Amino acid sequence: MKRVKNYINGEWVDSETKEYGEVWCPATGEKIGEAPFSTANDVDRAARAAKEAYWEWRCTPPLTRARYFFKLKNLFEESFEDIARILVTEEGKTLDESRGEVRRMIENVEHATGVTTLMTGYNLEDIAHGIDCTAEPQPIGVFGVIAPFNFPAMVPWWFLPYAVVSGNTYIVKPSEQVPMTQTRIFEAIDACGFPEGVINMVHGARDAVNGMLYHPDIKGISFVGQSSTARYVYKACGETGKRVQSLGGAKNFVLVMPDAELDKSMPSLITSFYGCAGERCLSGSVLVAVGDVYKELKEKFVAAAKSLKVGNGLQEGIQMGPVVSKKHKEKVLGYIEKGIQEGAKLILDGRNIKIEGYPNGFFIGPTIFDEVHPEMTIAREEIFGPVVSLIHVKNLDEGLKLIENSEYGNAACLYTTSGKTAREFKYRAVASMMGINLGVAAPMSFFPFGGAKGSFFGDIKGHGREVFQFFTDTKVVIQRWT
Amino acid sequence: MALTTFGAIMGFAVEMIGRSMDIYRTAVGKVKDPVLKENVQVLLEEGKKNSSLMEQTRRENVTEMILEPIAGLQQEDYEIDLKISGASEDSDLLKAALALEEKERRFFHDSSEKVPLPEVSRIFRKIARKKEKYIDHLKSLRLNM
Repeated sequence: MKRVKNYINGEWVDSETKEYGEVWCPATGEKIGEAPFSTANDVDRAARAAKEAYWEWRCTPPLTRARYFFKLKNLFEESFEDIARILVTEEGKTLDESRGEVRRMIENVEHATGVTTLMTGYNLEDIAHGIDCTAEPQPIGVFGVIAPFNFPAMVPWWFLPYAVVSGNTYIVKPSEQVPMTQTRIFEAIDACGFPEGVINMVHGARDAVNGMLYHPDIKGISFVGQSSTARYVYKACGETGKRVQSLGGAKNFVLVMPDAELDKSMPSLITSFYGCAGERCLSGSVLVAVGDVYKELKEKFVAAAKSLKVGNGLQEGIQMGPVVSKKHKEKVLGYIEKGIQEGAKLILDGRNIKIEGYPNGFFIGPTIFDEVHPEMTIAREEIFGPVVSLIHVKNLDEGLKLIENSEYGNAACLYTTSGKTAREFKYRAVASMMGINLGVAAPMSFFPFGGAKGSFFGDIKGHGREVFQFFTDTKVVIQRWT
Repeated sequence: MALTTFGAIMGFAVEMIGRSMDIYRTAVGKVKDPVLKENVQVLLEEGKKNSSLMEQTRRENVTEMILEPIAGLQQEDYEIDLKISGASEDSDLLKAALALEEKERRFFHDSSEKVPLPEVSRIFRKIARKKEKYIDHLKSLRLNM
């Protein structure tokens, strides 16, 4: 059993805490590790190291800073399979999903190495007679990320490489449920040879989070997690004058039009709802059958869901793994109970799934509710599990109304063969990540990631071109030499 | 068993190549004919290259947003008959090599049509084409033995 350490100022160090959280393997239900619930003092130690490292790093030429990331990319490629397997072991997703996640992490490193073009400012001569003006983006100081459990490798890397390649220094706080993946990633960082204090990691939970939110030397926070915490982080950063990008939860609607190519669409529909066991903020949650596609869609979707291979994600060929923890399993089962109580019709029940060889795993099989009404809890709240709510509407307008009325606005998807309908949908739907004929509208590293309404608190989203604005302050210099 | 995921197909490809390499490694020590020995060594080297190409392809082409189920490939159709690893005469070893290369060629050809990622399909097709050439070459050796 592994007890992970913090990484501060280029060294692996113990937290001052006596409290440790347990890390579980979701497939076997066994305890596999412990992570310290680091204190505000531990965060302070990391923040001081990062602050100390800042000026020298900030003065390092951008291309030199980028070279560290070129090297780091190669180190990540070498440890790719190792990281992916650790991730499966502590989070539960399948090996393919895990490899896909590690790939996306590396893509962010690749994108960030374009700093010499992505971070440049602009200028204009003669803004008045003989006066020139330049806008010069400059790094700001120490930034940090507070990461969720569901993408333990990738999410910190939506932010970290851009912050650091821009000349800032950094602190990562991984989820206390899945601390081992980022620990393995930091072994690569350690081997890469970054100057001490440039990149740091502090494990922990509430105390570490508050330590970061209220630390005077931390200039900005990126957060990804559930909406209630995202709102809390946003408020705290407002109080303390920090920059903030706070990504919350989701309730994603997937509309299927009568003209959709159902057979062709089915693999991606299934992936949308059951990929990562529904534990992703881009997962489909409400399947909306528009018009007379309802009966055929239901039959085909149920048949495809039934055929999914559920098991230990470490076995190749498994299509859906367990959910992350016993506690989370109970939460998802609670939503299923709620759906039954509120009158939805359970047409595929994954509650009692048995996986041979894994009697203690946190498995829930594919679950489908039919005859779901928009006001039901399962149609409104984020379940974050393999539970699908099927709603039948008359037309596109009714479907768009469902999206508009949702508290969340992360992603929305549409299946159709009509360009006109697709345009109407992307034009009107109140969500920020849109999929047309695909079920996981996941922006890649060179496009921004983040939602609308209760799914996002802040201005500048994760990765994409814009993220460089979050990690820099644009200094405007007005000069007269004539 | 059905190969229904990208990882399952890539994993099977790695295993298949590994099994062939094991057989070729043993065969190198048994083959008497120097021309055949040289050819088995070439196949062994090619196996090493393909193995690392498969690892790289698996790493670099796994696109998280479209990890969709794949249909139409059965592992059993491409299993290698391990009895052929017991061959000791040159003619039997050549037959074994032909059988191995043909199994692999068919696997990569069929998979290239099922995997929905053009880059991966292209790599599979390229390997299948190379295998075709080796098969023709091995057949020409058979005529000379």
